[in-house]
Amino acid sequence: MTTPARADMVDEILDDQILPDMQALAESSEDLARIADTTCRPSTSSLRDAYHQAFDAWVRVSHLRFGPTETNNRAFALAFWPDSRGKTPKTLAKHLRDTDPTLLTSEGFAQSSIAGRGFYALEFMYFDQNFTSAEPHAYRCALTAAMAQDIATNTADIYQDWQNSYANQMRNASGRYQDETEVKQELYKSLNTGLQLLADMRLGRPLGSFDKPRPKRAEAWRSGRSQHHIVLALQSLQPLAIALADGDQDLIARLEAAFQKPILRALRLDDPRLEGVADPAKRFRLEALQQEVNDLRALIESDLGPSLGVLAGFNSLDGD
Amino acid sequence: MTSRRGFLAGLLASSLAPTPSWADLGRPAFLTAAKDPDGRYLLAGLSETGAIQFTCPLPGRGHAAAAHPTRPEAVAFARRPGRFADVIDCRNGAPLARLEPPQGHHFYGHGLFTPDGSRLFTTENDYENGRGRIGIWHVAEGYRRFGSFGSGGIGPHDMLLRHSQGGPQLAIANGGIETHPDSGRAKLNLPQMRPNICLLSLEGEVLEEMELGPDLHLNSIRHLALSSQGIVGFAMQWQGDPSADLPLLGLYEPGRSARLLAEGDPRLRNMRGYGGSVAFSPDDQAIAVTSPRGGVVQVMETNSGNLIQEHALRDVCGLATARSGLIASTGLGEIAVLTGRLAKQLKHHDLAWDNHLVPLT
Repeated sequence: MTTPARADMVDEILDDQILPDMQALAESSEDLARIADTTCRPSTSSLRDAYHQAFDAWVRVSHLRFGPTETNNRAFALAFWPDSRGKTPKTLAKHLRDTDPTLLTSEGFAQSSIAGRGFYALEFMYFDQNFTSAEPHAYRCALTAAMAQDIATNTADIYQDWQNSYANQMRNASGRYQDETEVKQELYKSLNTGLQLLADMRLGRPLGSFDKPRPKRAEAWRSGRSQHHIVLALQSLQPLAIALADGDQDLIARLEAAFQKPILRALRLDDPRLEGVADPAKRFRLEALQQEVNDLRALIESDLGPSLGVLAGFNSLDGD
Repeated sequence: MTSRRGFLAGLLASSLAPTPSWADLGRPAFLTAAKDPDGRYLLAGLSETGAIQFTCPLPGRGHAAAAHPTRPEAVAFARRPGRFADVIDCRNGAPLARLEPPQGHHFYGHGLFTPDGSRLFTTENDYENGRGRIGIWHVAEGYRRFGSFGSGGIGPHDMLLRHSQGGPQLAIANGGIETHPDSGRAKLNLPQMRPNICLLSLEGEVLEEMELGPDLHLNSIRHLALSSQGIVGFAMQWQGDPSADLPLLGLYEPGRSARLLAEGDPRLRNMRGYGGSVAFSPDDQAIAVTSPRGGVVQVMETNSGNLIQEHALRDVCGLATARSGLIASTGLGEIAVLTGRLAKQLKHHDLAWDNHLVPLT
């Protein structure tokens, strides 16, 4: 028996993962903007559903931090998190105080502080009691519509850049990327970025220390999305890791097993806001989950990295 | 203690033979440490375009180096906690002297010569007393230890020579972090740390001290660069919450308070809290900082303080000013020149370039 001919690894990642995921992000954001234009009542189920769908689509691509997402700070404008100094609620409160009409235009809003834009800012407007019924009502409604429209514009621009030029630059490496190895290394780096964000931020921030857990640092806890983001991130990183293993069946089996453990654990947590970090009886499950993600990182660094020509950094791991 | 052989070799190099100079080696622009594919460590001299002009073996992993102003002599410092530094004749790699700090001290990895080349200063940790010192070595006497004075803080790391109206002075980055070799690189005093930049006379007299506000006391000031106008650029390493988007680069004009650059710009997060090396552009219009952890070089405009360019370079750390632009080196062997929006590869060597590119002045 011969193994079936494999498509090129980079084509496969672009065609099966990145392009469809970016398209889903742009389309679900457009849906959100359309509904947000008709209602600002967060209890409206169609609005909530659209918000959750679009945010899910963002989390699925949140590790792809290169190229189109970095142009004009687009990724930061979609996702200003973590916000350790509370800039997002401060910016939104100021918007509501100032009621500046120029902010309600696309161009005006796009010039405003990044901390007041994107999915995490919109979460305050839809799920935080200080904002859900804040006055003046009319301005707040118009502002949420402008925020959703800004997300839609931004994600459409990202998808367009991927479609029109960036995917081709990765397929035919000769300019931005000098060769295919550099393209694979970029994709590998994004896999690591996603796992690091997961272990250190999505889990590490609320875990804090045993003596000082920080449940209010969990990501998107106001909308009860913290646990869900962990599942989404692992589920979108797994196919990327598998594709990067380039048909090495033994490595693929080990990667699948190493992803399966934290995915199952994350699905069974039954702790949407990760409040369990502050409960000694539940905390250990989150610590075990973080350990499994770190085990996965170690496996990827030792077994996947070298096959792609990536060795641990001489300077990046040293520091002085 | 200096060896007798090293002492004699030093004498020989300084007085009897025809005066050796950096011209014998084609006037290298930078010194840097590296590791070769077989795991051996070396010191290299590079031209302005990244060509290797000489290499000398090193006994262990280096950090930074100090170049004698006239003679082709370099002091290569071991990584901290550095127990020694080797003075090397760069023409043939011959060891001229080995510097060992006194009992209870270790080197931090940086040092410099006085403009006349008569003395060498080294940043040191007086670890039993938890204080920073500047070691003084008499070059003409075979690098004899002469003494030390206080660095003006804890954890002195990088150090520069700055020319002021009152004469030459030392600008010292006191990183503020107390360590003790018994506990490795463990940071012993984070809650109390207070980094500063201290200006000292060459005799050790404190001339001025710059400290950032209390909200930035966890931002360890480590590396320095000097503009042609005498403004000190400083790069920092954040020791607090890894998600904080805090400035990692600042400008300090003595007599004034420091200015922090790109404050509030979310792209600061791409640095992962770690500023590695810092350098001004050749026209002083910009200043840049490397982050090996983020694989990025960020360039800020000195006037506005705005972040104007980001260059993605994996495992980048070394950075220095050349006539053609900023020169960066990476752990993957790359030497690149950064001009405007472009990062152009100049050379690729089968070497891992270590932390710093030290300019020869």
